[in-house]
Amino acid sequence: MPYCVHCGVELDGTATFCPLCRTEVIDPGRPPDTQSPKPFPDERGEVPPIPKGAVAAVITAMLACVAVGCGLLNLFLKPGRTWSLYVIGATIMLWLWIVLPILFKRIPLLVRSLINVAAVALYVYLMSVELNGRAWYLGLAVPIILWGGAVWLLLSLMLRVYHRSVISSAAILIGSLGVFLLGVEFFIDRWLTGGWDPSWSLVVLTICVCTVIPLVIIRRIPAFREEVRRRFHT
Amino acid sequence: MAGKQPEEKEKRQKEWYRLDNAAVVYSAIQKERYSAVYRFSAVMDQPVDPAALQRAVDKTMPRFPGFRVRIKQGVFWYYSEFNDAPGPFVQKDISNCCQPVRFDQDDGWLVRFFYYERRISLEVFHAISDGAGAMTLLRTLLAVYLRELGYQIPNTCGVLDVDKPPRPEELEDAYARYATVKARRFTTLKKAYPNAGTAEPFYTLNVTMGFCSVRQLKEKAREHGASITEYLTAVLLKVLVDQQRRERPKKELPVALAIPINLRPWFPTESLRNFILTVRPCIDPGLGEYTFEEIVSQVHHYLRLNINRQQMQAELAGNVKFARNKLVQITPVVLKNPGVAFGYWMAGVRPFSGTYTNPGPFEVPEEMRPHIRRMEVILGQATMPRVHCASISYGDVMEITFAGTQKESDTERDFFRFLVRDGIHVKVESNRTQ
Ligand SMILES: [Zn+2]
Repeated sequence: MPYCVHCGVELDGTATFCPLCRTEVIDPGRPPDTQSPKPFPDERGEVPPIPKGAVAAVITAMLACVAVGCGLLNLFLKPGRTWSLYVIGATIMLWLWIVLPILFKRIPLLVRSLINVAAVALYVYLMSVELNGRAWYLGLAVPIILWGGAVWLLLSLMLRVYHRSVISSAAILIGSLGVFLLGVEFFIDRWLTGGWDPSWSLVVLTICVCTVIPLVIIRRIPAFREEVRRRFHT
Repeated sequence: MAGKQPEEKEKRQKEWYRLDNAAVVYSAIQKERYSAVYRFSAVMDQPVDPAALQRAVDKTMPRFPGFRVRIKQGVFWYYSEFNDAPGPFVQKDISNCCQPVRFDQDDGWLVRFFYYERRISLEVFHAISDGAGAMTLLRTLLAVYLRELGYQIPNTCGVLDVDKPPRPEELEDAYARYATVKARRFTTLKKAYPNAGTAEPFYTLNVTMGFCSVRQLKEKAREHGASITEYLTAVLLKVLVDQQRRERPKKELPVALAIPINLRPWFPTESLRNFILTVRPCIDPGLGEYTFEEIVSQVHHYLRLNINRQQMQAELAGNVKFARNKLVQITPVVLKNPGVAFGYWMAGVRPFSGTYTNPGPFEVPEEMRPHIRRMEVILGQATMPRVHCASISYGDVMEITFAGTQKESDTERDFFRFLVRDGIHVKVESNRTQ
């Protein structure tokens, strides 16, 4: 009977390596037994895929029904205004947000962000069509949506690294909000006056930064303490 | 008899049961990445005859209506009802055992039977029974199987008579019956060292078994002034404490184990359904270093002090009180599930570094003994990639299993190396393939 030279445990005669430390069984006098059955079967039981298609189909059907229903109703109720575009835009946006991740589990973050941004842009576009707002759509809404998408992408990337710490996550979230609103005011000012005169967003940003600072300090304290101990140890 | 059967079957179909507290939790938390399925196996002296095993299953299952159920979702609670689907059918064994159940697949079966070479395995979803109930089913099944092979096996030593009808006492919700005292206030437990590793690809379960001599273990445990369970618990705690220390964390967390306790010795019941509670022996390295002797002593005294009738009854009353709360009762089950799952995570996952269960020796009638070589037990995958430990003894063979979805084998390696260093001979078998 073979033994593991590292663990000192007896192994099965069919074993080619130690399952505890993965050391190979090498015994020139007695090679591993390949005839006897192994202690456990080799075949894996395959797990049928999760029937997620059904869930996606149900949600798709629900959203489609809402969109079609409102579209039809629009023909009779206030037919002068295409109010149903709001609802249809919302259903498309919800579909892209909810059903797509169900259907495709591993969409890369960048692709998912692009899809989400496109969904919001499409929704606002449908609104602007209804309100004849092509000018503000291109001049104001698109820059803000793109800016929001960029901040969102950055936020997701940072959360991916720091998701283990609640404090870091909160700090990142608050910080992103401040940065996003700063951009919003920039685009509004540029659209209205052509210049940039930051006012309310600076207040918000200051509040955000002031909230983040204590969080960062708290987060840093153990490391800080460790550092002090290392440098001043006796 | 034959003429009465269809009528009887029709009557049975309508039967349904409320789930007990443990079953409510296991049903709510069942998902793809967690499997409240455990397995008991018997390794026989001869290769298994699948046809005889299927006949034995067909004869045994009617005696155990509590296992012949499927779980369905009601509006407010899950419930179980008689499963009239054909089967269960014995299957060729697979390497990645204890797969999660899906209530809407496999005809809703919550028990599975497997065979491989000389091994007969029974897998049970924890919502329908605990280890004691499943061991009764397996013991009876093995007796019927051996009779199919032509041996004379009496109905003694816990083998149920499959020719007799099932008794209602066996389906009792024992939690409800003993929840007669004032409930114990729920306390939040501190987060424990999680012992989480790198997850294997879906769906893999790494199983490593160690076999040693009960006599040798008992002697060694006695040297340390402990029982076998206490000794093995202490070894596992010691291994985890050392492992955490090697990882050099900023702050060392307590190391705690979930140890299920069979309540039947304290609260008499014939029930084959769940009737367990867990206790939590814990070593806090934040308090300082513990030698192995000190850990053994901690575990020994902790278990003796905390396993008593009054304390356990207060605890189970608390669990039952939750289910009897009017607000909880009228919450729809879809809303209740996340709540129960969160509660389980807070009270059953976060404060533990792992599980160790020892359902005790597997007793069989004298006549069965020559035909069974050894017994094995496996717990299904945990909620995170970490190992669960389980052990069962039969005759002089103590079998200890580590099973989990993590790539690393550190815990089991250190555990068995510890036993070897302590002078215990260990043989190891595993389904790992490099
Ligand atoms: Zn080894």
